[in-house]
Order: sequence, then structure tokens, then C-alpha cells
Amino acid sequence: MNHPSEPPREAGRPLSHLDRSVAQIRSELGIDPVSVDGIRDPRIYALEQEKIFRRTWLKVATTSELPETGDYKVKELPVVDTSLLVVRGKDGKVRAFHNVCTHRGNKVVPNADFETLGRARAGVVTCRFHGWVFGTDGPLRSVPLEEAFGTLDKACLGLREINCEVWQGFVFVNLAEEPEQTLADYLGDFGTLFAGYPYEEASTIFRYSTVLECNWKVALYAFSEGYHVPTIHAGSLPGFRGIEHADFKLIGPHASSTIYGAGMDTAASTAQFAGVLHASEHHGPRPDLLPPGINPTRRPDFQFELPNIFPNFIIHLASGCGYPGMAYFTHQFWPLDHGRTLWEGINYFRPARTAAERVAQFHVNALHRNAWLEDTATMEDSFVGIRSGAIDSMQLMDQEFLIRHAMRVQQSYLAA
Amino acid sequence: MTMSHLAPLPFGFEDLAPFVEKWARPTETGRNAIRWSASAEEFADFYATFMPRLASALERLDGVALDAMNEGEKTLFLLTAAFAEAAPHHELYGGSAEVPFSFAARRFVPAHGDTPSSAKAMR
Repeated sequence: MNHPSEPPREAGRPLSHLDRSVAQIRSELGIDPVSVDGIRDPRIYALEQEKIFRRTWLKVATTSELPETGDYKVKELPVVDTSLLVVRGKDGKVRAFHNVCTHRGNKVVPNADFETLGRARAGVVTCRFHGWVFGTDGPLRSVPLEEAFGTLDKACLGLREINCEVWQGFVFVNLAEEPEQTLADYLGDFGTLFAGYPYEEASTIFRYSTVLECNWKVALYAFSEGYHVPTIHAGSLPGFRGIEHADFKLIGPHASSTIYGAGMDTAASTAQFAGVLHASEHHGPRPDLLPPGINPTRRPDFQFELPNIFPNFIIHLASGCGYPGMAYFTHQFWPLDHGRTLWEGINYFRPARTAAERVAQFHVNALHRNAWLEDTATMEDSFVGIRSGAIDSMQLMDQEFLIRHAMRVQQSYLAA
Repeated sequence: MTMSHLAPLPFGFEDLAPFVEKWARPTETGRNAIRWSASAEEFADFYATFMPRLASALERLDGVALDAMNEGEKTLFLLTAAFAEAAPHHELYGGSAEVPFSFAARRFVPAHGDTPSSAKAMR
């Protein structure tokens, strides 16, 4: 799209060193087809577990999920053979622990799903096996029949802590004994580029998950480009015009890009539901809230920012500009084994004040959920196709550079 | 499951009453189940009657805080919520209960439970 009246970007704009033209992307990342071995080969998955998922910072929660003292989240992370307990302690700090009783290894907080939220009343969690009691800040508080152990060094038997840091309300953990980098250093310029948006104000959350019979990277890659939109989403996003995948940025192990678009053939009902949200200062498009490095010229056709946060997280920051009323949405791709993936998609809105705002959010959420159903339809088929051996490489075009970049970073981690 | 215990629609929305029993459900899971079993004719009937009344319904619901609806407004809210999810099936999906060329919707778990913002929780 041409916007001839816009001023050129200032040379001194912060983070402009991240910007890449298509020519630069081609020069830095190449244009050759890329091998599918990383997806196909189970031995590579075993390496990824050790060399990627046990070394990098992984987003596991948001602070708004744990607003009160004692609030906790149990999250199963099969990729690192870990059940995680993320909990807000009495001092207000969010910590992460192995959800493992130091007595004989039972889960302290039992759970029936990949993710469970709860509240530890009185600031303690108690193992149901033999009743060992742990403070929500970690220490072992009490042991039934303690004297019958002969000797028990309770000071050394607290919950095993996992490195945990928070960025912009997103809670990350690192399974390494001693992480190579702090979270801030790991995120680097990405942390600056995406910082400052009021993420926590968008506390109305619609969260979907499904287990996909595919390698985690098939799912990640499917959500890493806008090339598929006019075809895959011909049903739910009809007539999407002028989609422009632009503002390519390389950010160390992370990368980002921007989806601009002239909109689509809005259905009659969507126009009315969207009108409720767009008319509200609270829910309407707020390009002014975007961090300055995102949509820097404040183009009116901005839809959302599409980054990859290595290794398995995406934040589509929209600020109400793309899907009506939606502040942002995220994807995460958790390997369960080489050929199975837990996908999590979450839509974040600001809280509805009126009943009309809430039903309008239902409509927008449903449209987006339906678009996700169109996205996920390809993943299991793609994995079957890749496993069949029919193709040895993928052809990637310019708008698929996030995939090319993610593959490079994966390879560099596996080679380290 | 019937919705016959729902209060009557607010004054002025009586013409929508025949759709309450079939469509109005208190949860996303409940609305999904109805939608997945609806026929193209049922989507078309609901759309033909409700679409011309959508602006009025939204205007009425815009005048009431989310936590301050009276019983009649709650019925209107649930019926409008059902329409919010059903309308694309008529407008975009040719009356199909499934999104065409899509992943099996039944495998998609709304992990927020019955209302947004609360994950599947023990609290």
C-alpha cells in the first residue's frame, strides 16, 4: 500500500537497527528451500528438549492470572518432564517451583489437565500423600510425625525453585540450573520493542487449547506468516484486501513483522457488533497505545504485530486495530512429544462494562476462534505430508521469513 | 435441556420469544452444542428474524451494566449472545453448522470455562 504523504522514518529512531528491507532479509537469511528434517526427525526433537527447552526462557503464565496472594497455576511441561507450580507468595512475588513433594516425589498440587488455576488459602500447599506442608514461598513448614524420621533437615527440604522472571506481566521460567542470560538480556531489544503496552488492562480472556497430532514447529510455522490469510481464511475473513506483511525486524533469537490491511467484506452482523466496540473509547482502536517502534508512522491500516519470541511464543499486539475491540492475542506451542503438540490460543480484551460490549466481544471472539479452526485444519495434514518423505524441503517466500529465521535460531541452539 | 425457566424478554422484544427456547443458553459450551446441531433452515430463520432487531437489542444492552441486568435483560443478553455466534454460520458458512474446511471444533477446548477470564479453576 502506498502512503506517499507520510514522513520518512527518522534515521535516529530508537530500534531502527532492527529494521530489515526484503532485500536485506533475503541477503541475511537466504532464499533457498529449507530442509524439513527438523520437523521429521524424532532424534532432533530429543535434542530440542535438552538444548532449546531446558535452556531458554519460556512463558508459562501472566500475572493477571495470579492476582491475589496464594493464587497459583499448575502447568504441565512434558517437553522438560516437569510439572510446574507458579504461585504468588505472601510478599506478592510470583515464584516457580517444581510441583514435587520433597518427601517422595509426589505432586504437591494434583491436577487433571495441562493447566489448573487455584488458590492456596493460608499461604500453604499440602501434599495429599502424607501431608507435608510447604509455604507458598517455598520452605517446608511442617511434617506429620516428624520425630519418626530420626533426623530431617527441614531447612533443605523446601520446594525446588525454578528460575522465574516477569516481563510486562508475562511470567517466564528457565529450567537451567543457572540460566545463561537474565530474562531481560534474553528478550533484549524485543523486550524494549514490545514494552509499555498496558497488557494487564486487557484482563478479559478467552482461552482455547487443543492437542494437535503434529510436531510443534508445524503449528508454530503455520501461525508465523500472513501469506495464508486470503486462502485459508476465505470463509471467516472473506475478501481480505490489500494485506501487507511488512516492517520486518530481526531481534537476536526473536523476530517480528507487521500486518497491515485494508480490511475485509464485513458481514452485516459483524458491522453492528464491531460498531459497539469501535464507538467506545475503552475498546476502540488505540494506535496511540502501541509502543513507538510498532507501526511507527501510525498507519491507519495497521492490523497487528506478528512476532516470534523464541522458542514457542507469539504475541499479536493489535490495540483494537485488527479484530474489533481485541487488545492482543497470543499463541503458544508446547511439544508433548515429537508428533504431538498442545496449542494454546488466547484472546485478550479489556473488561466489558455494558452487556452490549460483552456480546460484541462474544461475536469477535467467535469469529477469531473460527479463523483458528481454519488455521489448525492444515497442521496435522502438513505433518503427515512431511513425514511421508514426499518432500525434503519447504519453499519459503518473503512473508514467511519468520519461519526461516526461527529455523536458523533452532539450528544454532542445537549446534551449541 | 430447556430454557423455559428464563424470564420473558423485555417489553418491545416479544417478537423474538419463539427463539429463546431453541437458542438461549447460559454458557459458550451450551451455545456450541445448539449451534453444532442446527440446520441451515434454523440458522436462516433465526437470522431473518433477529438481524433486523440486532440494533435495537444492542442499544438496549448498551444501556445496562454487565452486572446490573434484570431478568428480562438477561434473557435478551443470552439470545443476543447466541446470535453473535450463530450469525456467521448464515452469513459466511452457507448455513453449515461447521466452519467449512476447518479443524474439528469439538476438539477445541474453551479452557476459560463458561465465562471468559476464569480459566478452568478450582477456586
